[in-house]
Amino acid sequence: MTDVASRIAANRGAIVRNQAFWGVIAIVLLLAINVIKDPGYLAIGYNDETGHLSGNLIDILRASAPILMIAVGMCLVVATSGIDLSVGSIMVVAGAVSMELLRGMDGTAGNAALTLAIALGIATALGAVNGILVSVVGLQPFISTLVMMLAGRGIAKVITGGQNTTADNDSFAWLANGYVVGIPVVFLLSMAIVALVWVLVRRSALGLMLEAIGMDSRASRLAGVKRRSLQLTVYSASGLLAGVAGVFATASVMTVDVSRTGYQLELDAILAVVIGGTSLAGGKFSIGGAVIGGLLIATLDKTVVFLGVPASATPAFKAIVIVVLCLLQSERVRNLFRNRRALRAQSQKEVVPA
Amino acid sequence: MRSIPRVARAFAVTGALALGLAACGGGDDDTASGDGGGEGGDEIVTVGFVAVGPEGGWRQANEANVQDTFTEEAGFELKYAPATNLDQRSQIDAFTSFVDEGVDVILLSATEGAGWEDSLRRAQEAEIPVILVDRGIEPDDTSLYVTRIAPDNYEVSTSVAEWAVSAFPDGGNYFVLEGPAGVSVVNERNRGWDDTVGAVPNLVKVGAQTANWSTEEAKSVFETVLRANNNDIQIVFAQNDEMGLGAAIAVEEAGLTPGVDVQIATIDGTKPALEALAEGRLSFVAEYNPLFGETLLEVVDKVLNGEEVEPYIVVPSETFDSPEAAAAALPDRKY
Repeated sequence: MTDVASRIAANRGAIVRNQAFWGVIAIVLLLAINVIKDPGYLAIGYNDETGHLSGNLIDILRASAPILMIAVGMCLVVATSGIDLSVGSIMVVAGAVSMELLRGMDGTAGNAALTLAIALGIATALGAVNGILVSVVGLQPFISTLVMMLAGRGIAKVITGGQNTTADNDSFAWLANGYVVGIPVVFLLSMAIVALVWVLVRRSALGLMLEAIGMDSRASRLAGVKRRSLQLTVYSASGLLAGVAGVFATASVMTVDVSRTGYQLELDAILAVVIGGTSLAGGKFSIGGAVIGGLLIATLDKTVVFLGVPASATPAFKAIVIVVLCLLQSERVRNLFRNRRALRAQSQKEVVPA
Repeated sequence: MRSIPRVARAFAVTGALALGLAACGGGDDDTASGDGGGEGGDEIVTVGFVAVGPEGGWRQANEANVQDTFTEEAGFELKYAPATNLDQRSQIDAFTSFVDEGVDVILLSATEGAGWEDSLRRAQEAEIPVILVDRGIEPDDTSLYVTRIAPDNYEVSTSVAEWAVSAFPDGGNYFVLEGPAGVSVVNERNRGWDDTVGAVPNLVKVGAQTANWSTEEAKSVFETVLRANNNDIQIVFAQNDEMGLGAAIAVEEAGLTPGVDVQIATIDGTKPALEALAEGRLSFVAEYNPLFGETLLEVVDKVLNGEEVEPYIVVPSETFDSPEAAAAALPDRKY
């Protein structure tokens, strides 16, 4: 026990400097605020009517699933010092493809699987277009994915004829709304995907190679890293993950809303990645951090509703939380506080002998 | 000598520009002849429609109806300019370019109420009449536009409120799912509801949140609201159909029965909502009639002939308060 405590004390500096740590603190604080409002907030109950676990924490986990998917994809792209602004639009394309296909089909599980494969395939293809524009053509990631961001929503509108399409398929809806032994499927799936990505990049040299591209793409090439194919892979993966997020988002209500599904979620993804301690300059990434960032955003969204913050004040409330978090994460701001404390201690010492 | 190719290149660029301008000029000529025609009465009248674009079933029906009314056979050329992702900036750009083109009349469905003064003044200087379709502007300065044609949001939401009062004589807790904050529709629908329900002390407001007109967000918002209030909510006032359907899903997932434990009232009256009402998942649907292309056409004709029109023309709307009423209306529902 004391051993653990002393080790934590020794590593305190490192823990405080770890940006994801502040994300965890923020989540805990937000949950604490909710608990103050309602002491039963954290309780997870068993719902007899529906036969699965229910509670605010479960809701947060479910709501975080799409954000986790795009945040992990974004994290990999950012590691190569790129950025993917198109994830929100790829989400809506995947959603539009699934709803449009399912509308014309019977509600069988086979059709759901087929639809899922086609939707994810198209999402991956759109991601690959980003990848080709960036790696082969050599366009700036910001511009190429911005083009895809604008084009994607247009494509979705063409697919659905500009309407919000609704479909019925229980197997497909199960992906987002179902439960396995009381735990939401959508959360299990997203955790499994995150774990898979983590193993792929961190248990092999892949992650290091991505970071090498992000640090110095020429040097990495000289060192034998295949920049082009890796960039292509990373953008395709980001597209695929955005497709999964789009499926999650639309399957939960079985409706695609061409102007709202995934709208501005690329910003949430970037935010999650940054909160998790991944530098937008590239060369360094943390998937665990992105997961914490994603959970924080979901917690924040749910907290706003739980507290009943007036609709007009919601954006300001979120902005304040995020600004405070970023300030806490900033080394310079923390040093400022530390110096002031040190100065005050010093001046007190000087006062004593006098 | 080396400068000569550069000069030649410059000429080439200038030439290309001139061609481009000529092309634009050609376009202008077309509209100009359209202009003359508008006054003559027989030629094609150009109508610029600054529209909202994909937003939901209601908007879809409304804009399709306008597009079907102002056809070439009817003597109109309709220029349809939907907003990009409900962005007001893109609407102002479209509006300005219609003014510069010199269309005969502009139809405007503003995504946001505020911030239209400058654009409307420009249209006024260019002597182009502007007719507001559905959405109003804020502040509501009637000197800036010719007329507004819309179902009355205030009346429609009052009808929902009256239903709530009569359906819950013993009172209950209610929650409001709003559209985006600051939009004039939201303000008007809130006012209509609050003026009636606010006077009834046993109907208690638990809260209000925006779900941005979206099913997905409404589901997520309402599941949390149910938890925050231990499922103790009897009435939901959803300001559009999509949000009402999202709330119904959230109610079902909480293990409650919509229509029994929680009664949901929505505004718009689209087909999916009436189907849900017929199944009993929604409890009340107030129509916000989108099919007023004919009225609009008459008004445009009057305005172009220089006749006076009322500053606000109300389109009549129906309400559906039972599964039977919904089932009866469904077969010939157009949207």
